Amino acid sequence: MSDLNMKILVVDDFSTMRRIIKNLLRQIGYANIEEAEDGAQAYSKLKGNGFGFVVSDWNMPNVDGLELLKKIRSDDELKDIPVLMVTAEAEKEKVVTAIQAGVNNYIVKPFTGEVLKEKMDKILEKINS
Amino acid sequence: MTDEIDEMEEIIIEFIAEAEESLDKIEPLFVELEQKGEDKDLLNDIFRSMHTIKGAAGFLGFQLIVSVAHSSENIMKKLRDREISLSKELMDVILKSIDMLRLLLEHLKAKDGMEEDIAPLVKELEDALNTAISGTGIAEEPGEPVESGTAATVAENIEPREEPETAGIPESAQNPDAQTGSSPAGQQETAEVAQAAKDNAQKPKETPQNLRVDIERIDKVMDLAGEVVLVRNRLLNISKYFNRNYSVDSQTETLMETVSFLDRVTSDLQIAVMKMRMQPIKKVLSKFPRLVRDISASVNKEVELIIHGEGTEVDKSVIEHIGDPMTHILRNSIDHGLESTEERIAKGKPPKGTVIINIFQKGNQIVIEVSDDGQGIDIEKLKKKAIEKGLLTEEDARKMSDDAATDIIFMPGSSTKEFATELSGRGVGMDVVKTNISLLNGYVEVSTEKDAGTTFKICIPLTLAIIQALMVEVSGAKYAIPLSPIEETRKVSKEEIENITGQNVIVIRDKVCPLFELNILLGNGSNGNNGNEPDHKYIVVIAMGDRRFCIAVDSLLGQEEVVIKTLEGIDTTSSYVLGATITGDGKVVFILDVAGMSRKLFELIKL
Repeated sequence: MSDLNMKILVVDDFSTMRRIIKNLLRQIGYANIEEAEDGAQAYSKLKGNGFGFVVSDWNMPNVDGLELLKKIRSDDELKDIPVLMVTAEAEKEKVVTAIQAGVNNYIVKPFTGEVLKEKMDKILEKINS
Repeated sequence: MTDEIDEMEEIIIEFIAEAEESLDKIEPLFVELEQKGEDKDLLNDIFRSMHTIKGAAGFLGFQLIVSVAHSSENIMKKLRDREISLSKELMDVILKSIDMLRLLLEHLKAKDGMEEDIAPLVKELEDALNTAISGTGIAEEPGEPVESGTAATVAENIEPREEPETAGIPESAQNPDAQTGSSPAGQQETAEVAQAAKDNAQKPKETPQNLRVDIERIDKVMDLAGEVVLVRNRLLNISKYFNRNYSVDSQTETLMETVSFLDRVTSDLQIAVMKMRMQPIKKVLSKFPRLVRDISASVNKEVELIIHGEGTEVDKSVIEHIGDPMTHILRNSIDHGLESTEERIAKGKPPKGTVIINIFQKGNQIVIEVSDDGQGIDIEKLKKKAIEKGLLTEEDARKMSDDAATDIIFMPGSSTKEFATELSGRGVGMDVVKTNISLLNGYVEVSTEKDAGTTFKICIPLTLAIIQALMVEVSGAKYAIPLSPIEETRKVSKEEIENITGQNVIVIRDKVCPLFELNILLGNGSNGNNGNEPDHKYIVVIAMGDRRFCIAVDSLLGQEEVVIKTLEGIDTTSSYVLGATITGDGKVVFILDVAGMSRKLFELIKL
């Protein structure tokens, strides 16, 4: 079982979506959740705040999910934070780009709490093994 | 469990509000797109908004919304990726999909459980897309057939609602980031998009922290702030009494200090609460580009809409009530104000007509101007029609100044087929505009010049709940007059009052100004002095737009901040009373409706 006090950042430009994902995370049992509206805000929140996980939307204004991922991976402090990318259409080439950029997994909208839990557990298991 | 249900309920409410906001945002973008040509930033914004609505709706299980948004998004995606170009047909069908989404959101809001038949629209969207694709021929371009095919299959698996014909379209140039090896054109586009993305990244937008609050809670706070103002006013009165009678007591000084502190804090609180209800007027304006597009298309005129000051903040109730009157004025400007393209060319004007909406704050008022560069109002024709309709006598019409004559359009009954065509004259006339605006304690005036155009100017007080008022007294009763339309107060002697054809007037700085006794206006019969005119009267000079008139009262009591409480069961249209308030000494005082007064009085005297 993963650490339920792990600090999670939910990144999405649509506040309803952030709320839905937060709600799903709470259902799983996570309690320490913060939000960001886009990649730029997410990046500045991540710096020096001890986040353990990022769930990010792909298509956002300013800095999108992929750019955020690249920034995280090229930052010494943040590079090991697992990132789960939320995408609407699993277009293959898009996912390939994300994997090349170092995404830990992706999840296709709409998803249930169980699918989210499964994806997150898998990522965390892999990291801890 | 109930917690979870509440949470869901709240999420749904938030979704509806956010989705509506997104639609409000994209609709004008589309019209902008049609004017500016295809702009990739705009296209991407539009695509993203639709995409997000679809995504969230999917989570919440709103399948109808998902389907409509999905079909519409398909078109937007192809537009963004330059696979098809924007045509009037595509635009029309996309706007239809936005209308349908709004309707579906309305059903959700009303919880009426009603379902719309979206199948025809979805079919129409798909047909439009297919037509657009076969029109451009880009779909046949050899891209990466295998790769694209896989992508389409994947998409189909995930989106079971996707129709086979759209799924079969090669999805080349899908995402610029994903384009690794394609045609040179594609590469160039990738570079462009990347540049655009960089440009965007270089201007990170400020992201203020927002909190959605139920409007009822804000209104409650507003109400309570109003009560605090009333209590403060009473306390100020009482403390003055203590200061007068017990000034030697050191506690009195402390009381005065405390009360004056409370006074300042209350004023700040009032402003803070007022600001909480203020929203940018942009919210109302966002539907106008679409509206102008629709109206101008239906009357076959070319119109450019220019909007200034959309960031101006106004009270929420203004946002709610200004839309209809503004819509009506816009219709009127396009339908009657602007000439046909041929006529404009014949007059040597640019073929495209211009309508400018200009919004700004002026003192305690919000000013909204709607101007067109059309033919202006034909005053003689207007007078003639008004006489035919029996709204005016010929003599009245002759005496009437041009300024006063333009106001005929606001008369009830003036809006008939002779005045208005089908479009503007659907049973409601400009008199409704006037009524709606006076409900907001505002007024509207019109200025016009032949062949140069017409301007409608709407003035509305900044806030509706708490106003500065001048307290006056007549026959022993107190009344409050809203301060904003008051130009000045004067003490005049009996000799200064003249009488012209039965109407009392006084001359203020070389201008004749009609004078009315407040007591008579309020239906109290006489002026309360039993024919013994005092040597002096106090008069309050009211300016409503270009109209000025004076109200005579017995005495002026001073300025006070009053909270407007609406009165149940009083006909505010005929009584000249706007509402009531409780003054510092705890008495109920009527607040006078000077806007209504101005309207009525000028109708009577036809100055």
